[in-house]
Amino acid sequence: MEFEEREVRLPRGKLRYHQGGRGAPLLYFHSAGGFRASRALKKLMETRTVYMPIVPGFDGTEALDGIKSCADLAELFAAFADSVIKDACDVMGHSFGGRIAIWFAARYPEKVRLLVLEAPSGFRPAGSPPPRRDQAAMFAHPENLANEKSAEATAQNRKMAERYHQASDMDEELVGQLGKIKAVTLILHGTRDGMIPEASANFIKSRIPISHLVFVYDAAHAIEVDQPELFASLTGDFLRRGQGFLVNPGSDKMEAVPA
Amino acid sequence: MKFSYFHLMPWTDVTEAGQDWPVPNFQFDPKKGTELYRTYIDSMAYAEECGFDWVGCNEHHFSPYGLMSNPNLIAASLIQKTKRIKIAVLGCLVPLLNPIRVAEEFAMLDVISGGRLIAGFMRGIPHEYVAYNVPPSESFGRMLEASELIRKAWSQPQPFGWEGKYYQFRAISIWPRPVQQPGPRVLMSGSTPESARFAAQNHAKLGIVRLTDLESVRDCIKVYKEAAEEAGWMPEPDDILIGQYTSIAETEAEAKKNLEGGIDYFLNVLNGGIRTAAQLVLQKTRYYTKPTAIERTAQRVAVLKGMSIEERVDKGLVLCGTPDQVVKQIKNLHRELGMGVINVVMKVGNVPNDAIHRGMTLFKNHVVEHVRDL
Repeated sequence: MEFEEREVRLPRGKLRYHQGGRGAPLLYFHSAGGFRASRALKKLMETRTVYMPIVPGFDGTEALDGIKSCADLAELFAAFADSVIKDACDVMGHSFGGRIAIWFAARYPEKVRLLVLEAPSGFRPAGSPPPRRDQAAMFAHPENLANEKSAEATAQNRKMAERYHQASDMDEELVGQLGKIKAVTLILHGTRDGMIPEASANFIKSRIPISHLVFVYDAAHAIEVDQPELFASLTGDFLRRGQGFLVNPGSDKMEAVPA
Repeated sequence: MKFSYFHLMPWTDVTEAGQDWPVPNFQFDPKKGTELYRTYIDSMAYAEECGFDWVGCNEHHFSPYGLMSNPNLIAASLIQKTKRIKIAVLGCLVPLLNPIRVAEEFAMLDVISGGRLIAGFMRGIPHEYVAYNVPPSESFGRMLEASELIRKAWSQPQPFGWEGKYYQFRAISIWPRPVQQPGPRVLMSGSTPESARFAAQNHAKLGIVRLTDLESVRDCIKVYKEAAEEAGWMPEPDDILIGQYTSIAETEAEAKKNLEGGIDYFLNVLNGGIRTAAQLVLQKTRYYTKPTAIERTAQRVAVLKGMSIEERVDKGLVLCGTPDQVVKQIKNLHRELGMGVINVVMKVGNVPNDAIHRGMTLFKNHVVEHVRDL
């Protein structure tokens, strides 16, 4: 399964996106590193059509006038979903993409079926350790990395991400969105994440009305890279069965209806 | 100095000492067993009166070596019979068990005891993996993952799931939570430099109970302290527990005779079937990832088998003699190792229970007051 790069014209301007896979749609918001076709996502693409819009200004794309914040991005991507996906879909976001996913789910609950937040940024409760900047904070298993973009390109993307959010420890505006999320939400946190504190995951869990927090063992911030099989099987199961993913189905093939 | 009164709860009426694994249980007499459990539990509860600081139990399976397939049941009994002594479960064999069950049981013990639990996370000796049909080559990986999961279950304020290599749980929220937060103090075995380092990295107390010489123990303690410092903490003397077979009697001759008989029964009877299974595990699996570890184990057994009680005393491997002699031996051991806890094992093999009771009373009246301030 491979991604195909496409472009769509929206009222606010042109938007590039990647699409790949087959099955029910999954709208995916990438991290501050930009587009990455992780092994985990490719596994998910066996049963899901993944749509990954490129945040304007990332990966060599142009920024769009008037799109200045994560809330603006959520609005832009709502137009993208209306134009390309056309129906409610599952939504997933990693780190910076998790922030966008929170805005998206809070503002447009009717567009979101199930929500997956992979180590979302923006929540650092007082007393939490500061983020580490070493490679181990991001990757517990850097040997899994493949076809990475250049360090310069990644740095440019990260700089761009900072334009979209105030780099504060606790994004109070974002905190205010958590309680508005209607979708059943799966929050993922790597046990070796050196960038986002564990307290952040608990904070989010305590504020999203129907949410489940799962620690992924031996994964740092980039869970998809560190534990692609665990990530794909866990999220795949959640997206297939909704809250029913709590129950071990054994050999019972009955599909649970998502709440 | 603190003292832990540790008991293996061995079966001492083996009629046919063999090398079979598992050891056939027709030799266990349930009626005698009821009496034996009562005797052992009473003896362990008496430890509090005798000035011991901890009372310890542990987990073994499928042999007369130890009758505590679930040490937490014994710990629960001891909590009811004691008031202040720490309850040291040394420990549960976490790679063999459901880690959430371990977290729950330990949390229960901690709450029932008012925070007196010391929670041992042990990897177990090789034969246990045959008993519970767990691949020995997975033991270390399971130990790593289960240890982290148990601690998470104790400390997490929100329900959480766990997606790991060996364990997957979608929603965990244990009731009760432990009294001690973020969890009961953990003790891990550190008889090799590798395991000592692992204990330090996990901010656990260090337990070294299988001694062949003090030099290697010193090495492990050094590794433990260095690894702890690297991990950002500094162990206290109380964080280091050293095991000692102990025999205290009115006369040196009696103490030696008791211990000699007990060690002979322990090595030649209780260890029979276990050794058979252990050899299978060590030869046929990657329980130890390094061949040197297998050699080290074989050497340790060989060295101990040929050693007299006098040699063991001289080398600091056992405490044996009159109260005055034992006081001196404890002081020597402390000078050599600087540990803060001695794990006293008086029930070695089939040492008579009345001799043990007398030894405990001698400890209470003539030993502990002279070494308490070390």
